[in-house]
Amino acid sequence: MESTVQNLRRVTLFTDLSDEALTRVANVAFRRTYEADETIIFEGDPCRAAYFIAEGRVRVYRLSPGGREQVLARLGSGQTFNTVPPFQPQGVNHATVEALTPVALYVIVREDFRRLVGECAELALVILQDFADRLDHLTNLVEDLSLHTVRGRLARFLLEHASAAPGGSGVGIQATRHWTQEEIAAHLGTVRDMVGRTLRAFADAGLVRVERQRIILLDREGLEAEVQH
Amino acid sequence: MKLLMEDWALPEIDLTLCNRCGTCVARCPTGAVEMGSDGPFIARPADCTYCTECESMCSQEAITCTYEIVWGMDS
Repeated sequence: MESTVQNLRRVTLFTDLSDEALTRVANVAFRRTYEADETIIFEGDPCRAAYFIAEGRVRVYRLSPGGREQVLARLGSGQTFNTVPPFQPQGVNHATVEALTPVALYVIVREDFRRLVGECAELALVILQDFADRLDHLTNLVEDLSLHTVRGRLARFLLEHASAAPGGSGVGIQATRHWTQEEIAAHLGTVRDMVGRTLRAFADAGLVRVERQRIILLDREGLEAEVQH
Repeated sequence: MKLLMEDWALPEIDLTLCNRCGTCVARCPTGAVEMGSDGPFIARPADCTYCTECESMCSQEAITCTYEIVWGMDS
């Protein structure tokens, strides 16, 4: 049991829980392992549990009716998934989750999770804080999706994530963190193909230049105009 | 100007995620990727155009082509 407590302590959601509260979580959590490529839960299936990643990486995605896949997130050790549906009366899994590597999870079945949150105010508070953060993020995303096209959202993303000041270094550019097109798509609530297509459209319009491992912003005013779309 | 290969960014292949299916080798438009004994690798770096085809086709998400977002000099 001690190792379960120690492992659960590494889950971000549980980091600040008291030993007593965490022991209560450990009493109902059980460890389960999956091979790479194995599907852990399917979108639309009745929710049976909440999951906490001890080791490995998973991919969370949804499929459109046309079969188009939207990757919502890639999660690793310390992160959680399927913590929302247990609290819905007819809760179903909101997305499919697949193991990218061998994965070890701590699983808390739906009924235990609900009961625990009802009995332990400390746990209820951290769950509420997590949900509040998600709600905040989703509210911003809904506003973005309602008011802006992918062109507008991508233009804003590029402006917000490029280096703060143009042309500051000796070679005329300043480095920022690295992004894959899929990560950008997940951030914007769209799919990778749309990001690639829109980047090419921006390049054709002279707003950016896409080079090896670099998206170079060329026209600030043009990109700011795109944000309004 | 001589091409410095250390500045020549290439797709990154995570062999711990790769299932050796060979799709990246088959789909690389310039034939820059080959299958080695440990898995796929960029055998001809100079031929890689960083088109991201290998990344988009990899079902294991084992290949990543990353970008930094930077300002151009005159922007």
